[in-house]
Amino acid sequence: MTVNILAIESSCDETSASVISDGKVLNNIIATQSVHEKYGGVVPELASRAHQQHLIPVVHEAITNAGISKSELSAVGFTRGPGLMGALLVGGSFAKSFAFSLDLPLIEVNHMEAHILAHFIEDPRPSFPFICLTVSGGHTQLVLVRDYLDMEVIGETLDDAVGEAFDKTAKLLGLPYPGGPFLDRLAQEGDPKAFDFPVSSMKELNFSFSGIKTAVLYFLREKLREDAHFVENRKADICASVQHALIEMLLIKLKKAVKTFGITEVAIAGGVSANRGLRDALSVLSQRLGWNVYIPRLEYCTDNAAMIAMAAHFKYEKGIFCPLDVSPLAKMKIGIHE
Amino acid sequence: MKKIRCNHLDQISECAKFVIDLSRHSPVWVFQGAMGAGKTTLIKAIASEMGVVDIVHSPTYGLVNEYEDLKGNSYYHFDFYRIEDLMEAVDMGVEEYFDSGKYCWIEWPEKIEGLLPEEFMKISIREVDRDIREICIMKQTNGGSK
Repeated sequence: MTVNILAIESSCDETSASVISDGKVLNNIIATQSVHEKYGGVVPELASRAHQQHLIPVVHEAITNAGISKSELSAVGFTRGPGLMGALLVGGSFAKSFAFSLDLPLIEVNHMEAHILAHFIEDPRPSFPFICLTVSGGHTQLVLVRDYLDMEVIGETLDDAVGEAFDKTAKLLGLPYPGGPFLDRLAQEGDPKAFDFPVSSMKELNFSFSGIKTAVLYFLREKLREDAHFVENRKADICASVQHALIEMLLIKLKKAVKTFGITEVAIAGGVSANRGLRDALSVLSQRLGWNVYIPRLEYCTDNAAMIAMAAHFKYEKGIFCPLDVSPLAKMKIGIHE
Repeated sequence: MKKIRCNHLDQISECAKFVIDLSRHSPVWVFQGAMGAGKTTLIKAIASEMGVVDIVHSPTYGLVNEYEDLKGNSYYHFDFYRIEDLMEAVDMGVEEYFDSGKYCWIEWPEKIEGLLPEEFMKISIREVDRDIREICIMKQTNGGSK
């Protein structure tokens, strides 16, 4: 019999649903204007309430698009945490009532583990053990992955996430928020060695990204005093130099992790993996150091339900289910399974 | 209003203690200062002085972080930087957080002014020079400050 799992993601801004069938992701529906047009609504921004308005349309779309009926589902997976409590509650409550009414088993998923398991949605897939660098607007983590459900955080940011550092330095340069992608685009035309920004050195495998924001602020202030048009005239060079420093900080720790654990299977997860500068630097490193680098398609890197479905699939195979009274967790650690 | 000058980052735990002594009776503390003034850095130091065991990191993307101390008390750390509409904050339930009686540390409170409680502590950080900050602490009550 085919195992069909419905998965729901609602940890932050994105409302998403996905159906996975015998381990193959059939779809990955993320609330967008087009999904909403069918139901006569509009996409509100950011609000937790938005999840309530999005959820039924995206779930309906995922099930219909998969060409199955609700009675053919075998389980329901959902993001239990970490995330914004109000947002998690909406997805979690829906998943629980849906599972209860159809008498289906429920599977809780850790959002951060799911980001890593997104690597198993399609080929090429990394082989165990591997090191995963998860980089997004909210997270920067190095994780040692021994098996689908056996992971350990070996390093993380002690202040800002790297995506936030991109966005905030971009803001200082007058780019719109979130400015990471704009900064990346401008950086392609600039000289990464034009200016020197400090590369923070943290203990062990941890990161710190709050200092560079201040460094850029002081740098710009000083330069603007000499030349009022400094930012306009050198924007591409500033972007390239900031980007270079941020990527350097990521790669120093990634190289250290590879060396410490003697593992050359390297996976990148999270939305910042779309950054061109990071991708180029990784491709150079992988050739020079003989790493195998894996980066999922962007659709599976940003917040999405397909990765939740993938994680739910591995838990289903092991028979790991959760009771209907589980509560969402705003804080949820990787590798700790209750 | 009380003031303290932080002449170097290595004096920050001293400044944190000063802020805590003046503010501990109010659960809601707002932190004002330009980007790079050191709001998150000061909150990190305050959390450490208050016995928080979790890593204190910026909540810009997730809007709120929850920390615990060794006794299991919760602390909430907000950042409303990317909020565009007051209703977004209402929808995430900020009023329930503020009424919880737990300590709430708030960055970028300007975005949600209408939702702040009747009484709260305002901590503003002003950059005097590269490494030097002046920290002002005052109690705000509905319509006034002292």
